[in-house]
Order: sequence, then C-alpha cells, then structure tokens
Amino acid sequence: MAFIQFEHITKRFGRNTVLDDINLDVEKGKLVTLLGPSGCGKSTLLRCLAGLENPDGGRIILDGEDITNRQPSERKVSMVFQQYSLFPNMNVFDNIAFGLKIQKIPQKQLRTMVEEMMAMVELQGKEHALPRHLSGGQQQRVALARSLVTRPKVLLLDEPLSAIDAKLRKSLQHRIQQIQRELNITCVFVTHDQDEAILMSDIIHLMNQGTVEQSGAPIELYTSPKTSFAASFIGNYNVLDGAAFAKLVGEPAKPNDVAIRPETINLTLEAPQMQPDAYVLSGEIMEFSPHGNVIRYTVRVGEQDIHADALFRSFKLFQTGQKVYAIVEKRNCLPVM
Amino acid sequence: MANRGKQKLNLTIMVLLSAYLILPLGLTFLYSLFQEWTSMLPTGFTLRYYVDLFQDPGFYLPILRTLIISTVPVLLCTAITILAMYVIVVHHPKWQKYMQIFCTIPYSLQGVILAISILALYSGLPLPFSDRIAMLVCTYCILILPYIYRGIQNSLNAINARQLIEAAMLLGYKPLAAYLRVVVPNLLSGITVSFLLSVSLLFGDFVVVNIIGGSYYPTAQMYLYKMMFRSGQQTSAMIVILFALTLLISAGVLVLQQRNKKSVAHKQEVADGFHTI
Repeated sequence: MAFIQFEHITKRFGRNTVLDDINLDVEKGKLVTLLGPSGCGKSTLLRCLAGLENPDGGRIILDGEDITNRQPSERKVSMVFQQYSLFPNMNVFDNIAFGLKIQKIPQKQLRTMVEEMMAMVELQGKEHALPRHLSGGQQQRVALARSLVTRPKVLLLDEPLSAIDAKLRKSLQHRIQQIQRELNITCVFVTHDQDEAILMSDIIHLMNQGTVEQSGAPIELYTSPKTSFAASFIGNYNVLDGAAFAKLVGEPAKPNDVAIRPETINLTLEAPQMQPDAYVLSGEIMEFSPHGNVIRYTVRVGEQDIHADALFRSFKLFQTGQKVYAIVEKRNCLPVM
Repeated sequence: MANRGKQKLNLTIMVLLSAYLILPLGLTFLYSLFQEWTSMLPTGFTLRYYVDLFQDPGFYLPILRTLIISTVPVLLCTAITILAMYVIVVHHPKWQKYMQIFCTIPYSLQGVILAISILALYSGLPLPFSDRIAMLVCTYCILILPYIYRGIQNSLNAINARQLIEAAMLLGYKPLAAYLRVVVPNLLSGITVSFLLSVSLLFGDFVVVNIIGGSYYPTAQMYLYKMMFRSGQQTSAMIVILFALTLLISAGVLVLQQRNKKSVAHKQEVADGFHTI
C-alpha cells in the first residue's frame, strides 16, 4: 500500500475544474515531484494534501488513514511555501521552535532540537536574526528547518526555490535532496521547472489541466514521453504532427504525432552514407543560440524547422546559411498521442 | 551653492510651519502664566492658576473619567475589529469590501446627530441599553471605528496574513490561535498609531459626552467648559494640562514601542558580536 494515496480527487473553483479525478500514489521515503505549467492544478493538489483546500470529491489516504476531512494541524504534514512565510515578528530560533512549543516540549529538549536543525541547514549563529535581516536563501533554509523540526510524516514544498537566483538555487536543490535522503522523509515537491524536477526527483508526475499526463522516473519521462504535451514540456522535443513528419522523411503519413529529442539529431557537413536505421535529412542552418554548454541549431528541412542540440565545442560551429545533413535514428522518433 | 540655498529654504519653511502650529498653544500657555494681558505684553507673572487647579479636589476625577472614557472604547473597538478581521482573513476574504464600506460609514456621521439619535433610540429601553456610560462607550466605538479599522487593515496589507496563518496551522495551531500568535503581533505598529489617534480624538470630544454623558459622567472637557465662564487664565492652564496629558500618553506608548525594537536589535548585536570574536 502506498504511503500517500490520492483517490479520485476533484476540485472546482466556480465553474473551473482545477483537479479532475486525480489518482496517484506516493511511496514512503521518496521525493516525488508534481510538475506542470502554471494553472495545471499541482499547487492545488498539494494544498489538498496539506488540508488548506478541501477537495470536492475523492479521498486522501496518508499512512493508512483517511485524512480527507482532517484539519491541517492534525495531519502531521509540513509545508515550505514559495514566499517562505516566516513569522516577521519572531527571530530565527523562535520561528524554528514555533511548532515545537505547542507540543509542550521541555525547554532543554526544544533547544537541542532547534540547534540540531539549525546545524543541518547551516544557520548557526543566526538564532537572534529577524527574517528581514536574512537573505532569500537563508530565509528558505529557516523555512525548511521550521518544517522539519516537528518531524512530520510528509514534507511539502510549493515551488520553494522559484524566488531564488539560479546559482543559489542549485546549492539549495542539492541541500534539500541531501536532507531528504538523510532523514528518509517523504517529500512532495511542486515546480514548473523541468530541469529541477529531473535533478531532484525519484518520481515525477507531470500534470496538465487538472489531470496527470504521465508519471515515471525522471529518465523514463525524459526519454519516453507518451503525449505531445509531455514531449513539448520536458526536454525541448521537436514535436511534429504525423503528416509533417511523413513529409520530412518521405514515408506514408503516421496517425500519431512524432517527438524527436534535439540532442539525438547529429549534424554533418558531408553527406553521410545511407543508414537503414536512420533518416538522413538535408537542410540549412537558419540560426543558432548558446544554452550553457549546448548550442541549439534551428535547421530548415523542406518547409519544417527542427531543433538540433550539440555540445559547445568552439572549434566546431555551424554557421547560419550552411547546408547540413541531419541524421536521426529511427528509434529516436517516438510516436506520441 | 544651490544646495545650501535649498537647505536654507527648507529649514525656513519648517521653522515657519512649526511656529504656526505651536503658536496657539504657546500663547495659551503664556496667557496662563500672567494675571493680565491687556497691552502688548502680559503682566503679573504667576503660577497661581496651576496651583489652584491642582489644589481643587474636583479637578482630578474629571481627568480620570476622561482617561477612562478615552481608552476603554478604543480597547473595545480594537478587540472587536481584530476579531472581525480574523473572520474575513481566514474564512471569508470576499467580505473584505463590505467591511471596508461598513467601517467607512462613521466618517459621515456628525457627532451631534449620532449622539442625539442614540439617546433617542436607547434611553427608553431597559438596562443595560439605557445606561448612559454603556451608550457613551458604544457611541465612541462607532466614532473611532474607521481609524481603528484603517490602522489594522494597513498593517494586514503589509503582511501575507493568510499564508502566515496557513504556515502556523500546519505547525499545529488552530486558525484562531494562529491568527492571535502570528498575525496580531505584526499589527501592533498599525494598532499603536490608531490607538493614539483615537485616544486623542476622544480625549478632546465635548459634544458627544455632553449630550450622552451629561451630568451622569462629567469629564475634563465639561469641567473645562464650566471654567470658561469663571476665568480665562485658569481655562488656559487647564488646556495646557490636558495637552500635556495627551502628550504624555502618546510619548509613553511610543517609548514602549522603541524599547521593544531596541531590545530585539540589541539581542541581534550581541549575537553578531559573539560570533565575530
């Protein structure tokens, strides 16, 4: 039996159905991500688990107990918010100790627990600082410590890193992963950033318009998208409808769309030998742009533009207007719904 | 060069403005220190009028009544408004606009009309509705409601109250406890300003307290009114004392607030200094 089970969860705001018969499971000790664009329902689902929204239908089971109608304070679930939600009138120590005080834990034990948690998130020496005197990264670590110190069954994170700069975000992603593994705590993470999801998650549930589009391990989701939406959201796929693809490769029209990952397209200047397991397409470089250590080329093949990614090797760069050959292995042309 | 000229101009404007504001009180104070002022300068310096006031046994009770009637309605109205805002923030955010309209209506109510209307409505009813003190307190609550509401609402706008409450709920608190522990302490600066404004307003009120309180509850303002017909200098002395009292209350509240801020800053300094060593 899964540690968390969402059974037929439905939620409407007015006429808008935000969650449409969601069924998904979360295993104990895993870091599971709800990934999707804005408005897909991922935060609403998280808030239903937290008890901050009441679903209009369905059940939520946590550790074998139906918590659907329980108050947030009774669920043993903690949450880290996007805007941190630190209590402005309390210093770091009091913020972290807040959830322990209502449990009437003895002062000495409380102090020890808070200090241990502060050491875990590397905030020693900041006990008396007010939230407004901390940086964004420090505030987020306080929020994390505050959520973990009460030893919840589940830790929820609602886009906790989206307000933080890119460099610090990587460091915090790593830290959250470390802490999750060290404590073996079940985490449900919400993000719209596919790179973040792939980096951090054990399982990703890709959501779209209130439903779960596809679930799986990051590599599986990345290499084997099942729908056009999944292909276009994860991994910058080239998604071509069946007719356009057929025209491109000179084959009969396919009933489904076809998705091709840009990094699986090899570009060469010389015409390659014919390969039975690959398509060879003749095209022209229309433009290119650097993306970190990758160069993304836009290649026009016939009337179709496709994107091809290559590692950034400065001594090997195709120029705009150059005629190139794009080699695509047939196994990398994935049919999607 | 141009900057210095601008600074001088700013200073001149500030000095003139301050003089304009302080002048009436200054002259009143001066008048209370002299026996006669019929020519350019007053004559006959004396502290007699202050001494007479402090020696009058009937002086202290009206002051005390005024202090009580200025603070009790403010505290009551603040408590009610804080609880009303809890309902809106936590349970019915859409009612916010109606609350705003409701709390703005008293701005348009004239004190005389309000006092007479309330007296006409409630005086024939059984206790406690017809009790003059209760009527007075409740009337004052209506009059200061816009100021109390605005102070609280402005402070609420500065914090994400709903999310703070959600964070506290997930840490084990019930919604009301979360609101009182986490949100209300952050409203204190707004409440302080509203408190001082409302107390000053009620402290200086004569119309409402005269109509509703009358002889049942003679306050300092009514004592002052009677004194006007006896002695101009003594009236001036009384005005200065009442002003000083209002100033003391305001200063006391602000000093308390500053002390609290300094205590928090000091703790942070100590912590920073300890870890630098």
